[in-house]
Order: sequence, then C-alpha cells, then structure tokens
Amino acid sequence: MRNHDLIIVGAGLAGMRAALEGVKAGIDVAIISKIHPLRSHSCAAQGGINAAINPKDSRESHTFDTVKGADYIGDEDAIQLMCQEAPEAILEMDRMGTPFSRLEGGLIAQRPFGGASFDRTCYAADRTGQVLLHTLWEQLIKAGVTVYEECSVLRLVTDVEGHVAGVVVYDIKTGEVFPARSKGILMATGGYGRVFFSNTNATTNTGDGMALALRAGAPLADMEFVQFHPTGLLTTGILVTEGARGEGGYLINVDGDRFMGKYAPKKLELASRDVVSRAEQTEIMEGRGRNGAVFLDLRHLGAEKILERLPQIRQLAIDLEGVDPIHDPLPIRPTAHYSMGGIRTDKFGASPLPGLYAAGEAACVSVHGANRLGGNSLLDAIVFGKISGQHVSQYVKQQGSQRDFPMDALVEVKGRISSLKRGQGMRAPELHTRMAQALNLHCGVFRTPEGMATMAAMIPSLRAEYARVSVQDQSDIFNVDLLRTWELGNMLDLVECIAKGALARQESRGAHSRTDFPNRDDQNWRKHSISHWDANKGEVVLSYEAIRTLGLPEYEPMVRSY
Amino acid sequence: MPVYTFRIQRNWKTDQGTLESHYRDYTLDVSATTTVLLALEEIKSQQDGTLTFRQSCRSAICGSCAMKISGRTRLACKTHVGEVARDGVIVLAPMANQPVIKDLVVDIGPFYKKVHQIRPYLDDGPEKAHTLDKSAYDQVNHVTQCIMCGCCYSDCTMLEVSDDFVGPAALAKAFRVVSDPREGQKTARLQELSEPSMMWSCSRCAMCVESCPKDVKPMEAIVKLRTRGMAKGFVDGPGAKHALAFHTDIQKWGDLNEFTLLQRTVGIMGAVAELGTAWHLLKKGKIPSPIPHTAQGVEELRKIYQLLEDNPIDVETKAKEVVPE
Repeated sequence: MRNHDLIIVGAGLAGMRAALEGVKAGIDVAIISKIHPLRSHSCAAQGGINAAINPKDSRESHTFDTVKGADYIGDEDAIQLMCQEAPEAILEMDRMGTPFSRLEGGLIAQRPFGGASFDRTCYAADRTGQVLLHTLWEQLIKAGVTVYEECSVLRLVTDVEGHVAGVVVYDIKTGEVFPARSKGILMATGGYGRVFFSNTNATTNTGDGMALALRAGAPLADMEFVQFHPTGLLTTGILVTEGARGEGGYLINVDGDRFMGKYAPKKLELASRDVVSRAEQTEIMEGRGRNGAVFLDLRHLGAEKILERLPQIRQLAIDLEGVDPIHDPLPIRPTAHYSMGGIRTDKFGASPLPGLYAAGEAACVSVHGANRLGGNSLLDAIVFGKISGQHVSQYVKQQGSQRDFPMDALVEVKGRISSLKRGQGMRAPELHTRMAQALNLHCGVFRTPEGMATMAAMIPSLRAEYARVSVQDQSDIFNVDLLRTWELGNMLDLVECIAKGALARQESRGAHSRTDFPNRDDQNWRKHSISHWDANKGEVVLSYEAIRTLGLPEYEPMVRSY
Repeated sequence: MPVYTFRIQRNWKTDQGTLESHYRDYTLDVSATTTVLLALEEIKSQQDGTLTFRQSCRSAICGSCAMKISGRTRLACKTHVGEVARDGVIVLAPMANQPVIKDLVVDIGPFYKKVHQIRPYLDDGPEKAHTLDKSAYDQVNHVTQCIMCGCCYSDCTMLEVSDDFVGPAALAKAFRVVSDPREGQKTARLQELSEPSMMWSCSRCAMCVESCPKDVKPMEAIVKLRTRGMAKGFVDGPGAKHALAFHTDIQKWGDLNEFTLLQRTVGIMGAVAELGTAWHLLKKGKIPSPIPHTAQGVEELRKIYQLLEDNPIDVETKAKEVVPE
C-alpha cells in the first residue's frame, strides 16, 4: 500500500502551488496527475494574472471589480482574501523565477483586462500561464516532490466515518490499479470544459476531480455557471486571449461595424466576458455574423505591436485558422471556456467532506460567482493553491495514523474496468459528441426553458447508453480509449449538475442567461446552487446555500453596466 | 475534400516484453488545413479506437503531441495535413531517441531525467542580481518559450549516436537559468556545463533549431553557453580546446592545421589512441601536411580579427535582434 500524508490530484498551478506548501510544512506530499505536470492546462492561459501591485491601484478596487464581475454571487470573504493576497502571490512567483514582462525601471508590466477598473493584469507576453506553470514545476523538482505521472484517479475513497482515506489509482502506462492512502486529499483537477462540444479547453479537461468528489459525497456548487469566452477561434474553439482586446483589438461584425458600443457603451470590447459573449451571440443570431462567427480585428494595432505583445496568438491564428491577424480580421465566437462551479469549499479550500480540500478551477470557493473576470483564474489557482495547501497540511498534521482503506473500492474499480471493456453499445466518442452537442445547443450563451428541460430529460437516456458503452482497446498499456470512456462517465455526472442547476435557476445572472427570466433576481436567487449525488435515486439533487457576504454597503448588488 | 492516406507506425509490447512494429494505412477525407492531431482524433474515434497517441491542449502550448510526421518531429496539433503529405501520404511514427511504449507514445522519462540533470531552477548565491530592468529577460525570451515537447531531442543527430548527451532542450533550459539575472550560481553552472556530455557535445548541426515548434533555437543557446563558459576560464575540456585551436589557426594562418588539431583537442595520449585511424588515413593518402599552410590574403583576415578584438560583437545581444517575421 502506498501511503502519503497528503495526496494532491492534479499538477496544474493550484496543485503544484499547494504541494510546495506541503513541503514547507514538512509533510509527505505526493501529486497524482493523469498527464505530466507541464502538460497541465494552466499553460494555455495566455493573457495574465491580476494583482493590485501598482501604488495607484488598490486591493479594495480589485475586490470591488471581482464582486461586481461575479454578478454579486461570489463569496465576499474569499474574494477579499484573494485580492488581499494577490500582490504577495505574484511577487513570490517573481522571486521563484517567473519572467514577467517588465516596464522601464524593472516593475512588472500590467495590461488592461475586461471588467477591471485599473490596468492590473500582470503578464509575460501572451504566455503567462505557461511561464507560471514552468516556474512551479521547477520548484517542484527543486523540492523533490513525488509525482505519479500519467496516473488517473478513478475513485476517491472514504472510510466508515466518512473521512477521506485515499484514492484508487489507474496507472495509464501499465494498466495497474492500485490503492494509495492519505490523511488528506486536495483536488486540483481543473475544469470541465470538455462537456461542451465547442470549447477552448484541452481534451484532458473532463472535470474528473469534481465528479470524484460528488460521488464520494462532497457537494458541488454553481455548476450552471459556465463562462463562454468571447474569442474562441471559429474552427477549433482555441482561445484567443482577452489581452488581444486589452491591447486595443476591436470586435466587428460582417459589415465591419464595431458593435460593442450598442451593448457596453463605456467599456466596449473590455466589458465583462458574459456581456461581450452575449453581444456577439446577438449579432450572430440577428444575421450580422458569417458562418456563426463575428470578427476580432487587430489590424490597426500594426505588425510591430502584434509581434511584440501577441506573438503566440498570431502564430496560432495562422496555424489553426489560416488567418494572419496583421492583415485580416480573425473569425471568432463565444466558446465554452471556464467552470465557475466546482467542489464547494470555504475560503481555506476545505470542503464539507472531512479531509477533502479543493483549489483552482476544480473548486468553487467561490471567487468568480456567476462570471469570472479575465486574469482572475491564474490568480485563483495560485492564491488558493497556496492557502488550501497551507490549511490541508495543518489539517493532515493534526490527524493520527492513516485511516482504514476499504479494499472493496479497489475491487469495485477493477470490476468496473472489466465491465467497460465488455460493453457492447456505442463507443465513447460518439456518445460524447451526442452529449456535448446537446449541451452546447441547450445550455449555451442563451438558455431557453425548453432547451434546458430537454437537456435535463436527456440525462437518463445518456446514462442508459453509457451503461452499455464499448471500448475497442482491450490492452493494459496506455489505453487512452478506456481512459476516455471512464472520463465520459465523470462528464455525464457534471452535465446533469449543469442542466438541473440551470433549469432550476429562474433568473439571468452572469454567464447564466435565460430567455424567459432575462433579469437578475436578488430577492430569490442570490444564493449558491448546490448539487449532491443521491446514491439511492442514482441522480443529482439540488439544494441552496446562502452566499458569504461581508455586509459592506459597497458590495451591495447594483445594476451591472460596463 | 482530398483523401489522404495516414501511414501510421503501430507499436505494441508482446507478452514477452518485446516490441512489435508495423505500419498500417488509414484513409481519411479531410481538407489540407486540417491539423494532423484532428485527423488522428478522427481516425481514433471513427476507425480504430486502439490507435494511441498523446495529446491535450490542441494549441501548441502543452507539448504532448510531438511525433515524427513525414520524417521530421513536429507537434501534430500545429501541423497541417497538406503541408506534410507526399503524394497524398502522411507517414506518422513515434519520436526517436526515446523508448517506445505503444504506437506513437514514447517513454518521456529519459528525456526529463536529463532536464532534471541540469537542475532546472534558479539557485541562490553570490551572483544573484537584486534589481531588474526592462531588458532583464531579453536573453531568455526565446528559451522561456520552450514547452518541453521533446521535438529537438527526437531530431537531435548527436543523441542518435550518443545516449549520454544531455540534449538540446536541457541545454536551452540551462541557458535560461544561467541567463537569468536572479540566478546566483552562474559560474558554478557553467563549470558543470563544461563537463563531458553537456554543452560541448553538441555538433551544431542545427536540427534542433529546425525542429523546434516554439522558436526556442536551442543551438544558439548552446553556442552562447560555450562562449560564456570560455569567458569564465573553463577551457580545459576537448570542446573548448578544439574551439581555441580553430581560433588560433585561423588567426595565425587563415587555414586549419589539421595535422596537429587532434592532438591540440584531445592531447597527446588522445591522439595516440587514434593512431589506428591515422594509419587508415595514411593508406588512403588523407593525412594532412604537418607544415601549416598560410591562406591567401591572410593579412586581410588578421585585420578583421584585430577589428573584432577592438570592437567585440556582443553575442549577448543576439536574441534581441531576432524578431519573428
């Protein structure tokens, strides 16, 4: 039996940042990740990371922008903590070796981002996530942290008292299924963007950690809030950073009109992401798009600025869309991007399930509420990676010996793998497409009551189909076919949370935009939706929870205009 | 849409632990601008679920999907089918210089072990700068673009013949660390990098520069590391001696004295060890003359040398000039 004080699942920014705190606390910490740490999707974050490091800016202003950006459903204690800790978190990364872009005099450079009242997004050209990820990986090596690379966690296991006892691990390289025991578990597995057909996410972003937590008895919160990024490339959905608009890019329709003036007269292209995505979708639906897209126009920035500030983006546009933004506008559309929802935690990352912590996109702390501001996701991962890492380490230290690991969990997982391999139904890719296309159609930028109801009603038939799903690859070694089939089961759970949460929430708030309830309803709906797994019924059930407020007048809900 | 043939090397471990290998053809109707990764996903989902390859981000930033595509190692997610098809055929194989696990998947362990070997993180120490200016990272801008995909490692011609060589990606990372003003152990690192199998083992064939999907230019980083190592006085190894011998000869004669080059690179005993080779060369009349040959117009060359010594080109500024087109 493998034993560790703390097991962290996921090796992106949040997971690695937390691991360093475990090392500092002197506990035995191990990371389990289904991909090598450097392949983690944190690397794809392009534009930057917010922090009030300029003396003219303030942490209070950052907090206010985030509370407002979240459409008044974020937890204010957590938002305040994040914005307070942001400058130090950035400077720590800087000291570890992140090569942030600099101003004359050496200060870290900052650029404007959507929904922010100050230019507070620190960046390293247009590959901020990548350099942050590499910096933490460097520190991970320096600290000698154990990493189970290319190992997928298939079960989160609890003991008779309902405390986490460990995980069941599947070694992708060998097919070995083994138990690993720990006194605490931190989920840092990222988001679930792949549940949507059109998304900016990596193929590995299947929300595994959330599904594992849900099935182990932990609640998920606000799963209906999914951010649609305003600038996904038309063909592939690949992300074009908000930094492109931050640097002065225009959004234009097929007639060449800069349409954002109609929707957000003050902030224009740099309004909050939900606002911009709805504007684009409206233009497209009213016939002013082309092939389901509008355009990001960077031509007026000039070749020099594009090459200096957005070099990677330009290359991506050429490679994936065949368009050089120096010469032509880029076809873009709103594309599923970020999961505001996740494992419900307090501001220290602790979930209600004893011993389970979560951080980063996998968690719902909740700092993003109904809509995340650009530049706040890397920050969330770094700050709450650190904080939850500290807290879970202390928690683990207070625990006695390892818990009893119920070995029937291992037997059950092995049995499940065998039965998947024996399935006779359709293959996972086909079923995934069916599910993801439906979700895009019914729970997209604009949501109709009929659409959401249709989606929720589809779940039992999708589950029935999944029960018979077939796997072609029967081997033990690097069986991606099997792994993806397993992940589809995780995604089905999350889709149910999204569809049910969306259908139940009778208002429009942030990224959740209903045609039948177009307005925000603070009276009835300023609360978190909580999804639970009801093992007896075999389905997701909802409850609600009050948001954590600070009781300050400046954070009272007001009309959100940009 | 054109029909392409994907000729894919299938590899699998037998029960005896040996590797079986053959090529299998798959045909697919896709446009020329489809990425190879998308085509592979299509084949996996529609035709053959057992076909195995790594992938994740789809946008050339995670480094998962490096593979041999029509002879060269590339990222499948940023390579268009039309660019690499020869008569409608795209040949796919796993990366080279690494053990194969299955189909297009290699064991990335040895590659990363070598990256770890150069201690890929900043260290505290006496050479650490405490202030930075706007140009602080001009030197490392290229190398911090590295995503550790292994394309350079797979196409490295030196690794083909020497398993010990640490490889281009590790050396680019070493350059990234050494060039960071905040690094405290620059000299100690340069000394380590002057050891065998490190920076002097590169043959400067430039394959890594060609293969890199992120414009890291590992070989340029290696050349700069060497210059810095020599400037710090690490000139005892054969690599540095070889470079110095070249330098001396060209300056003095305008031509190489190949007769003594070997002895000056590897020493008397090293040269004695090569006597067998020398005998073969002698038989074929290939032993160069021991008398140094003075090149025509050597005066002109000496003037150029003098000019360069009076006005040294700062190799450190090279990175700044390189702007992507």
